[in-house]
Amino acid sequence: MKLTNLKTLAAGIVTLWFSAAGLLAQSGVDVVANNSVATASLDKAALKDILMGKTAYWPGGEAVTIVVLTDKTDAALQEATGMSGSAFKTFWQRLAFSGRGKQPKEADTVEKVLAIVAETKGAIAMVPAGTTLTGVKKIELK
Amino acid sequence: MKQLYKSKSNSSKLTAGALVLAIASAVYGQDATQGTTNSPATSANSAGTNAPVAKPFFSLQGTDLHIGNLPPITFHGFASQGYLGSTTYDYLGKSKDGSFEFSEFALNASVSPFAHTTISAQAFCFDVGNVGQYDVSLDYAMVDYNVCNEFGIRGGRIIRPEGIYNSIQSIDLARTSIILPQGMYDARWRDFSASIDGGSLYGDIGLHKGGDVSYEVYGGMANLAPNGGIARLLEDSLRNPPTQYLDVNGFPEAGIQLWWNTPVQGLRAGVFALYAFGVSYDYKLNIPPAFGGGGYHSVLNVPEEQFSLEYQWKSWTFQAEYRYEDLYSHNVINGITTTPTTHTAEDTWYVSAAYQANHWLQVGAYYTEDYANVANRTGDGTAVPSDAYQKDFALSFRFDPKPWWVIKLEGHAINGTALIADGQNNPNRNGREWYMLALKTTVSF
Repeated sequence: MKLTNLKTLAAGIVTLWFSAAGLLAQSGVDVVANNSVATASLDKAALKDILMGKTAYWPGGEAVTIVVLTDKTDAALQEATGMSGSAFKTFWQRLAFSGRGKQPKEADTVEKVLAIVAETKGAIAMVPAGTTLTGVKKIELK
Repeated sequence: MKQLYKSKSNSSKLTAGALVLAIASAVYGQDATQGTTNSPATSANSAGTNAPVAKPFFSLQGTDLHIGNLPPITFHGFASQGYLGSTTYDYLGKSKDGSFEFSEFALNASVSPFAHTTISAQAFCFDVGNVGQYDVSLDYAMVDYNVCNEFGIRGGRIIRPEGIYNSIQSIDLARTSIILPQGMYDARWRDFSASIDGGSLYGDIGLHKGGDVSYEVYGGMANLAPNGGIARLLEDSLRNPPTQYLDVNGFPEAGIQLWWNTPVQGLRAGVFALYAFGVSYDYKLNIPPAFGGGGYHSVLNVPEEQFSLEYQWKSWTFQAEYRYEDLYSHNVINGITTTPTTHTAEDTWYVSAAYQANHWLQVGAYYTEDYANVANRTGDGTAVPSDAYQKDFALSFRFDPKPWWVIKLEGHAINGTALIADGQNNPNRNGREWYMLALKTTVSF
């Protein structure tokens, strides 16, 4: 096998490894929501406002519930909010224990995240792009 | 009487801790017994196909309690237990001998029953030395109606905004350090500094390329607990005859907190102002009336300003705050001001840095100075010069072995006695440096 082919193969393996390790930037996530959410698309500023608690209710008045896929979407969270996964959790604990917000729900697998989003009115989450979506709607990220 | 009270305190502490741990076990035990928490429940019928099973009337899913078809009630809570040890002086408890009187417990619930509306409440109890004594209080209980991002209303018992940490001063898991800069966030004053009975208007206003401004304007009554920090401080200062401490009274206050979230990612600047109207306490002067004896009602009016700066950059967090406080005091007997108004001013500041090394380790440090009288920062000419200031360097380590479990270790090198100037526990004070060790662990759900 030629050296260039080996290098290409190695680069592909490294890329796959990092993806498997869960370092997903926003370009590698889909935004999903409960079917009760009427919003069809969000720009990055609007998504940030939701993730930072500034937008606590959907236009119809339903409370926003954020669902976090722990560890695997840290890069996407960093890109959207400027905070690491740990800092994001601490930020929300501050809001929740001072009565200023509702702490995001957490789950460690995509399946659990989708199940929570499907059953929780007003829920929104980021999942790896290309995930098979059942029981939830995809929100276009502009 | 002291033993009976201690027994009651231990009983309250055990009850609060057991309640939080029991609920946490129920929440975290769900995955082990039920698999995924939200899989649709089905059962096989005689035709061999799966049909949906009726959802029970009461069910717990994660931290959500479902009751029929009502919106879920979400619960969260934490339990913190700490240890304090110090050289030379007792601080925040009997720390010279080592003190475990350093605990906090909280349990909150929230529900959004109507559009744009959330109802929430938090029960809280704490103990710091002889303050708090595990008396359960309502930390907040309010209705929050959010009209839009730019405007919302809260009413009831609300948490006061003030600077970076006032609204979260008792939430150990929300920061790196164990003990906050005490000149600014005194753990003994939590009974009145944390919340008020009243309301606030809040919102976030975008400035396009200028970032955005968050605001919260509040007003209401601050309540002082009979065994709170202020009451204990007055009891101590007025314990020597012929003075006799009687009572401390709640007072109205109004304030505003503004945050400018700048266009620079992670950088925000804040300004806060409040006015406390008529902070008052009652005492007796047990000498003949002809010499001024009788009942006294002492009144303080307190305007205060605080400035804050915070910068989060990658894994670093940098913070700096400064507070200035005026105290205008006079005595009133039978509705008549009997003494001229006296004025002193206090100030305090700190700078801090914290680094998130990885998902389970944070390291932080801060330096703070507190001055009891800005007109005499060195205490020259006073009986105890070191009572004029307190300077503190702190180094903290925070470990998160589990998402629900925090362990902290912290050391302090302190110079000055402005915040421990109580004659009963620390009768002999001087300017020599002294040290403090703090340990704390918190579980949460």
